[in-house]
Amino acid sequence: MNTTRVNASPDQIVVSDALKIYGGSGSSAEVTALSHVDLTVDRGQFVSIIGPSGCGKSTLLRLIAGLETADSGDVSVFGADPDQACAAKMIGFVPQVPALLPWLSVVGNVTLPSKVNRRADALRRTLPGHVHRDAADPRALLAKIGLGDALDRLPHQLSGGMQQRVAIARAFAIQADVLLMDEPFSALDEFTREAIQMQLLELWEQMRTTVVFVTHSISEAVVLSDKVVVMSARPGRIEAVVDIDLPRPRRQGLLESAAMHEYEHLIRGKLQTAWAAGPVAR
Amino acid sequence: MTNHAVTHDSAKNAALPLDTTDTAIATAATASGTAAAATSDRRATPRRSTTRRSILRPTIWLPVVVALLVAGVLWEVVAINNTYLLPRLGMIGQAIITQPAFYLENAWVTLSEALIGLVIGFVAAFIVAVIVTESGILRRAIMPLAVVLNVTPVVAIAPALVVAFGFGPAPKLIVTALITFFPILMNVITGLNSVSPPILQVFATLRASRLEVLTRLRLPSSLPYVFAALKVVFPLSIVGAVVAEFSAPGAAKGLGTVISVASSNSRLAVVYAAILCLAIMGAVLLFLVTLLEKRVLRWHESQLLKRG
Repeated sequence: MNTTRVNASPDQIVVSDALKIYGGSGSSAEVTALSHVDLTVDRGQFVSIIGPSGCGKSTLLRLIAGLETADSGDVSVFGADPDQACAAKMIGFVPQVPALLPWLSVVGNVTLPSKVNRRADALRRTLPGHVHRDAADPRALLAKIGLGDALDRLPHQLSGGMQQRVAIARAFAIQADVLLMDEPFSALDEFTREAIQMQLLELWEQMRTTVVFVTHSISEAVVLSDKVVVMSARPGRIEAVVDIDLPRPRRQGLLESAAMHEYEHLIRGKLQTAWAAGPVAR
Repeated sequence: MTNHAVTHDSAKNAALPLDTTDTAIATAATASGTAAAATSDRRATPRRSTTRRSILRPTIWLPVVVALLVAGVLWEVVAINNTYLLPRLGMIGQAIITQPAFYLENAWVTLSEALIGLVIGFVAAFIVAVIVTESGILRRAIMPLAVVLNVTPVVAIAPALVVAFGFGPAPKLIVTALITFFPILMNVITGLNSVSPPILQVFATLRASRLEVLTRLRLPSSLPYVFAALKVVFPLSIVGAVVAEFSAPGAAKGLGTVISVASSNSRLAVVYAAILCLAIMGAVLLFLVTLLEKRVLRWHESQLLKRG
């Protein structure tokens, strides 16, 4: 981790030759969660990571989020290491569950991140990879994502889809340089999921943030992304990277288009090869 | 007991706090022996809003009234033939009516001992809980002491405290503080650790300071557990005050003193009148805590409603 950053670019998120091993300290068996993982995400790109469960896609996301450190290899977020990036609030994390504070209103939840770690703004200006943007107005943000009339409600009064939209707005609100999303829509029903995907895209197109999005849904990955990273399990590694060359803005009708299905077919094929090639453990 | 709170340190998800509240209550309550009041109260919570509206319906109030009447009749049946074992209800009522100021004054003494002791115990337990959750080393140092303190019967310490601190209020406050300390400590520790991991992850990526995590996440999360503890320790604090008064009789006022003096003079009606006062005090305190909880924990209670 502390080696010199050869690949550190102020306009890219770079993961190079990352290795992450869990367990192995006597009692439990070693599990190689990530092995020789290289990933580059350009600023402003929407990148999805897809793969079977246990392929280390969440681990990869957590490495970028600074929630875990690699055993070897290097991670840099727009030229800074994940630790600095977090300290400067360059990272907006959206976990699988909404993770809202039940005692705060919707607005309260969205504004809370800007109230903690107030030194981040000063630090942020000193980092080369940070592009300055004015702080987003949380109310306007919530209105854009369709929660304009739920501002003062408490989380338990909202549906699951609405809660997850609050979580997304919370991540956007700090004007993070990159949003890291860990299967944020996996608990939602099909209709809600498609609606939220479109809202996320709209917001992303307006805010022009970089997004790294972990998912296990092929169609979700294709609809949202510029680039889909296909991973395979045991050990977790990157199997293929597929560029999605579909026009933007992408709208609901896209789901039925032939081009979309071709991409889905392609990625499904890659996933199947990955599955067959790997030592099938289950 | 100890294991319980410690195992909640890490592995916990968003759905869990609901269950753990109940367990926390049960845990704290088993320590004190007042399980029934706290748990049954919590279970009744989801129906509360409807209860308020339908309080006038006979199906709501009739069972309570019938149960009270049956208990009263049974009491009288026993008392009529054993007047020097159990006073008639009328005699207890008469004891109170003839000198209400006497009971009020003594009840006030016991109540203020109980409440001041409780405040001391609460503040101490809360501070220790925060220290223990923030530092692993201090946890290993302090928790064994706290457990030893908990398993030592406070009733046994009370006479020693009277010897040390005399017949004034000090030993009473100490006993009350000691008896309320542990249930609050265990519940607050569990509560402070009840923030779900995803929330902590979000605030870890924001590099929120430990103080910010404590004040903005951990303390509010602990509130349901604090109230669970309060429901247990409010009645307990009265127990503490009375026990301490038993150990220092004749010196000061207080319902405990009244009971021990009256029972040595075989004035059973006075004994039971004082007991009745204590029971009413406990019930009122419990009611007030429940009322406060309803206001403060709107977000939490309603969540129970939704899930329940």
